[in-house]
Amino acid sequence: METTVRIQEYDDPNYDPFSSDDSNFGDMLDPYPLIAQWRAQAPVLEGDYRPKMGLQSATYPDRKMFTIVGSDEILTVLTDTERFSNHGYKFNIGETFGQGSISVMDNPEHGRWRKIFQKIFLPQYVKLWGETIVDPVVHKLMDKFVGTGRADLVEQFTLLYPFEVIYRQLDLPASDVRTFQRLAIGQTDYMHIDKAQEASRKLGEYFTALVEERRRNPGNDLVSLLANTEVDGDYLPPLVLISFLRQLMNAAGDTTYRGTSVLFTALLEQPDQLDAIRADRNLIPAAIEEALRWDGPVTVQLRMAKQDVVLGGVEIPAGSLLDVVAGAANRDPAIFTDPDRFDIFRERKAHFSFSRGPHICVGQHLARVEMTRALHAMLDNLPNLRFDPDKPRPEIRGTMMRVPKHLHVRFGD
Amino acid sequence: MPNLIVTTRDGAEREIAADAGLSLMEAIRDAGVDEMLALCGGCCSCATCHVKVDPAFVGLLPPISEDESDLLDSSEHRDEYSRLSCQIPLTTELDGLRVVIAPED
Repeated sequence: METTVRIQEYDDPNYDPFSSDDSNFGDMLDPYPLIAQWRAQAPVLEGDYRPKMGLQSATYPDRKMFTIVGSDEILTVLTDTERFSNHGYKFNIGETFGQGSISVMDNPEHGRWRKIFQKIFLPQYVKLWGETIVDPVVHKLMDKFVGTGRADLVEQFTLLYPFEVIYRQLDLPASDVRTFQRLAIGQTDYMHIDKAQEASRKLGEYFTALVEERRRNPGNDLVSLLANTEVDGDYLPPLVLISFLRQLMNAAGDTTYRGTSVLFTALLEQPDQLDAIRADRNLIPAAIEEALRWDGPVTVQLRMAKQDVVLGGVEIPAGSLLDVVAGAANRDPAIFTDPDRFDIFRERKAHFSFSRGPHICVGQHLARVEMTRALHAMLDNLPNLRFDPDKPRPEIRGTMMRVPKHLHVRFGD
Repeated sequence: MPNLIVTTRDGAEREIAADAGLSLMEAIRDAGVDEMLALCGGCCSCATCHVKVDPAFVGLLPPISEDESDLLDSSEHRDEYSRLSCQIPLTTELDGLRVVIAPED
């Protein structure tokens, strides 16, 4: 779509939002042994997750913090909305995505807006995007290296495709895409909060202008759809609409990039399981769920105690912040036998990687469609896929968010 | 205290004595039926508490909202007896209610 809306770069063009990932989210190779140690001690620990993992604390001096690693307690915190709130996110993602993000809200306010977004991302609708949006993106990217016999599947594929899917959904002009991604990623650079706020402001101005333009001249894209959605005879409140659009890039792009990278890495590390999928593609859904369980992109979710509560025998004062370690429940041996093993044939049980409760990932069905299409394309186009013996093996790293930064492979011949 | 008869995916029947005031989903889940996933916890935000209601009881249930209907449409197994069990408050009129847990999608 032709557009008159202009996107603004950072004032400092040398700022690199991608380089702050490690200081924001940590680069630990394997946090799970430590998490298992904590779980063996107690289901609820005093103190927040970050300093326990050697990261700078994101502490709030007037609040106590706790880390939740027991599966029962995790489920309770995520689903008992009488006692636990999402308002803890007001202090971080609310500051940059905007306080209209549904992630910072509790019901009933949350449900009022969520159901509008939820409807757009219902499985029966996102399934259609698989063909119209995801497949063209995936094939365009893979075509660039398919004849070369080698690739870095992260740099050349998984890091790109979910973001390109969003650009197409939003129908952004190609000239804006690079700046757009830099701003979107910078929004969660909490270690450089001035940059995160600058990114938030500039994305807010951009989306506000884009929404106005697409009210005048609507297309078939997601911005046009949301800009023209009415609730009780009125448009969505600007704060809710702009916050959602700001969050979309990180919620839908960053997580899917991580999840797909982990999936590919795990399958290459277990060639017998990859062969099994080649022989029977009906195994793809199980492989995706197992990758999400085994090493989900988002290790920790944040909640707040609404009242004084006793959880796992620990007294938690009202207003305390709780780091809910989804990665602990996903590796709980009481739920998943031999939990550290990646095994697509294991008995299927629900994981915690899309969270639980009212804030369960609204984009989960799109994520599954994207990962499914990406895996099919890999199987179709990259025969005899294997690690590149001349390059380092991939390392899935990250303390809060997990991903391998490179995945060097060879294929063909 | 309404009694429920729940058929799980393996065809086994279970009788559950439920507290009035709970939703059908909560009663089934709290009785330890693991396949009642109810991942969103009961706020009509997923479709993992899908059940098929015995035809004799369908007329006693509250109507299906648009949101519930949209979510049920996401299931390949929807039919005229499909409901999301989190949207059904248990009342004494529903004593003896029979439901079948829908197949997993």
